[in-house]
Amino acid sequence: MATTSSALIPCGQYKTTYRKDTTIFPTPATRAVAVAALLLLCLAPLKIGGVELLGKYELNLLIQIGYYGIAALGINILVGFTGQISLGHAGFFGFGAFASAWLNNSFGVPVFWAIPLAGVLTTLVGLLFGIPAARIKGLYLAIATFAAQFILEDFFARAKWFTGGSAGTLAQPFSIFGYEVSGDHGYFYVVLAYVVLMYLLGTNLLRSRDGRAFIAVRDHYLSAEVMGIGLTRYRVLSFGISAFYAGIGGALFGHYLGYVSSEAFTILLSIQFLGMIIIGGLGSVMGTLLGTAFMVLMPEGIGALSRSVGGVFPALTDGLAFVKEGAIGLAIVLFLIFEPDGLAHRWKMIKTYWKLYPFSY
Amino acid sequence: MKANLFSAAAAAAVLIGAGPAVAQGIFVGHIADYTGATSDVGKPYGQGVADALAYVNAHGGVNGKKIEFETVDYSYEIPRAIATYKKWTGSQKVAAIQGWGTGDTEAMVTFVAKDEIPYFSASYSGHLTDPSGKGAHGSKPAPYNFFYGPSYTDGCRALVQWAAGDAKKKGIAAPKFVHLGDNHPYPNAPKAACGEYAKEMGFAVVPPIQYSLKPGDFKAQCLSLKESGAHYAFLANTGGSTISLLKSCETVGVDTQFLGNVWAMDENALKAAGDAANGVVFVVGAADWRSTAPGMTTVREISKVSDPSGSQYRPVHYMRGICSVYYMRDAMAVADKAGGVTGPNIKKAMEQMKDHVPAELQGVCIPSTWTAEDHRGTTTVFMYRANSKGGAQSIEKIGESVIPRKPEWLGW
Amino acid sequence: MNTNLLIQLLVNGLIIGTLYGVVAMCFVLIYKSTQIVNFAQGEFLLIGAWVCWWLLTRWQLPFWIGFPVTLAFMMVFGVALQVIVLRPMIGEPIISVIMVTIGLSIFFSAMMKWIFGVWAKPYPEVFGTKAVNIAGLNVQTPYVMSMAISLLVMAGFAWFFKFSRLGLAMRATAFNQQVAQSLGISVKSVFAMAWAISAMVSALAGVVVGMVNGVSSALSFFGIKVFPVVILGGLDSIVGAILGGLIIGVLENLAEFVDSQYLNWGNLYTVVPFYALIIILMIKPYGLFGTKQIERV
Repeated sequence: MATTSSALIPCGQYKTTYRKDTTIFPTPATRAVAVAALLLLCLAPLKIGGVELLGKYELNLLIQIGYYGIAALGINILVGFTGQISLGHAGFFGFGAFASAWLNNSFGVPVFWAIPLAGVLTTLVGLLFGIPAARIKGLYLAIATFAAQFILEDFFARAKWFTGGSAGTLAQPFSIFGYEVSGDHGYFYVVLAYVVLMYLLGTNLLRSRDGRAFIAVRDHYLSAEVMGIGLTRYRVLSFGISAFYAGIGGALFGHYLGYVSSEAFTILLSIQFLGMIIIGGLGSVMGTLLGTAFMVLMPEGIGALSRSVGGVFPALTDGLAFVKEGAIGLAIVLFLIFEPDGLAHRWKMIKTYWKLYPFSY
Repeated sequence: MKANLFSAAAAAAVLIGAGPAVAQGIFVGHIADYTGATSDVGKPYGQGVADALAYVNAHGGVNGKKIEFETVDYSYEIPRAIATYKKWTGSQKVAAIQGWGTGDTEAMVTFVAKDEIPYFSASYSGHLTDPSGKGAHGSKPAPYNFFYGPSYTDGCRALVQWAAGDAKKKGIAAPKFVHLGDNHPYPNAPKAACGEYAKEMGFAVVPPIQYSLKPGDFKAQCLSLKESGAHYAFLANTGGSTISLLKSCETVGVDTQFLGNVWAMDENALKAAGDAANGVVFVVGAADWRSTAPGMTTVREISKVSDPSGSQYRPVHYMRGICSVYYMRDAMAVADKAGGVTGPNIKKAMEQMKDHVPAELQGVCIPSTWTAEDHRGTTTVFMYRANSKGGAQSIEKIGESVIPRKPEWLGW
Repeated sequence: MNTNLLIQLLVNGLIIGTLYGVVAMCFVLIYKSTQIVNFAQGEFLLIGAWVCWWLLTRWQLPFWIGFPVTLAFMMVFGVALQVIVLRPMIGEPIISVIMVTIGLSIFFSAMMKWIFGVWAKPYPEVFGTKAVNIAGLNVQTPYVMSMAISLLVMAGFAWFFKFSRLGLAMRATAFNQQVAQSLGISVKSVFAMAWAISAMVSALAGVVVGMVNGVSSALSFFGIKVFPVVILGGLDSIVGAILGGLIIGVLENLAEFVDSQYLNWGNLYTVVPFYALIIILMIKPYGLFGTKQIERV
């Protein structure tokens, strides 16, 4: 007897088969909301009655959330689901961007194919980094990836044949079957398609056998090994998959900006990726997107704030870039102290409150 | 699950605020570096541009039309400059852009050419001087790029000329020349061309030495410099890092004659470096603050926009920022009469200027000429020397050089 | 082979190496006592240098007053940091602890840039003579002082940990927190003390570097260079930190020698320590003197 309320938010576990337990959307209601939101987003860049629903500025923000979100899901698979640490994610992100531009410029591969191919190339690099990384644990892995980030940055600035050296390289706009997608409105759909695809792939991975293996490796690696899960194999695989996501995100970034240079991929970007998943919630796919949105929108919010109170606090507008940077660090610290499980956890708590209302104890 | 946050994100984005409102008059974008790696020189130049734009508005605008401008601080991060450019070409119809750095300007050459937006950069890279791409060294066509002042390469050539004369005077038989700079588009811009010219002038060119654009400890690089035996060293970075280099080299005991590009040395850097900067010969592209040229009265009025007391000393870059804005204004005035302030009209107006100096700035800006085939506005280089002995500091003009407009040097 | 340049570069390397060693000692102190990896070590140098500069130039205090005030400030700062930010982190997984210090480092570096700007500001002259000549290389007086002070600090640390009650308490806490607690050692005050000492000594290093090169945001780079040093020396060994610092300092300058004489790439000076870090992690992950943790892979 499924009343409306229990169909919307069931107050108990009523799954009777494994198949029902591993669905992506736990209830028909959440699935409907997801589809509705997707349709809403598809309508977003359109003009209705001559009025643009979303300005170019907002579209730009959504596109940023898109490609950063894909890369953030990659690092969440590595850190949140497999329990490893990587401070070098921006290096993979940059590698994807450079690879896509390189494939397109040097070999004439159309951008449509260059982006997934760049993801594959980045996977190979990720597997390469994963092999030594599988032997190192925890803190030492963090330090090793920290050093790898600087080495990759230096490589990007030096390797003229691949990246164009310190001058960077131009990336052509996206085109499908000869029709060039120029302008943010078209590119929004490209990024949206990739986000939906990559997130579905990711969620699927995590409910599969390999996904459960990742979680086992994270939770208790000794028991996992006893049960027959190859630790090295899954750690390396995790690095490879996270690099794939970073590569796709980076390629989308490169073709959006139309120009790739090594100075976009600094240690600060790596830290921002980690910040995104920590703020969003480690080990939560939805949390990744929440955290990315937070990290992208917070500097813009501070910018808007400074525009409105700038007259009263001129020091704020003078050092706006520093305030934005400091806010990132402060947000990470505050979230770790007060909300270590991230926004996803907070959202779950809010939902639980309403699910049990008025018995919220 | 995903749905909720997509909508949440969209709602938040809309709520947090739209960008600046759509402009009515002439919209000019201003990209500046106030907080990044080159902010030590970005601040005075950017201030000059902003003050000049405000002053132009207060005194008649462009044939009575006001210029709306937006200053964006991009912290010398190229992707941020490109994102700002995309924002300006989307929602607002930007008529021209006052830009800053070499990296972003060179990256956007094809974009501004396609969008037909005149780009007045503070980058004087030789690669921006070839409008049709016919230069002998394979330069990209840059039809919509303009800059006021001698290019980095011409500045370096002038310094090499001076150095050649100095070497002869000092009786150095086989003088050595070296390029010091970071591995970055801005210091790299004049490296190849200037090295070639130095060879032509009889110098032995030693392998370049790298030092970061950010301040730091450069004793190791100074030791290598001392070892290389170079007599003349070209400083290709900006003032901030050059201060550290000069101090490190003074400690190590390097007696090379330093030659600074137009951003490497100014009054602020001289103050910070102290006696370490004594004797540095550097390029200046306009009048300095103490000049008595007739145009300096306008400059001092412009300075009052951000300094009402009129007591602040402005470094040499401030004047160049003003000149950049005034050349743009003059071109816009001509374009306005010729059918509207659009990109192609501004470009045509710029390319008609011959030995032009803005009316209010006589004696401040160097007479400049642009043509449809040659975007080297001026090849006149002023050379100054920095003096600092025990606290007494000054800069003095020691010469002026006109580099020949060789066609094979276009875009190089 | 240019032996003259080589020797001068080696001397330069040793001098910088003592500074790296001092900063690494502070890092190891924190790690040994509280098991926290301090990514914000470079910012301690930066804050100490800026505060001292501010006291000397804005308030015109003489050095022998301004410097102890800076040290007092850093002590309070270190304790406050530990109490406010790091105490809630006890028991959290290592990724959280690492991210907290990273977040702090970004926050402090941005705040310092906001308050003091990005330009390098010179220190007022403190010592009479500018430089001393060692082996043909002009060594600035602050660097000579720093070598002397570093040796004093190292000796002081050695005495502190071996013979003083507090040092012994710290070593006990580092070895096993629960046993130390059961013996009556206040673990909370040990933690606070560790952070306070680390902050003070880092400020000392920051002031020294500031006197030589001027204060600028480039000081935070010391916090990044400290990682190759401590990985080489061992994360929990003070002797290792000193030796690691000297080795990395020399290695950098050797790389500069090879680069300028033979290779002409230009970037080896900055990037070689990181390659060294990766290589050491591959062959000897616990460093020269670190304690081996025996566990299965």
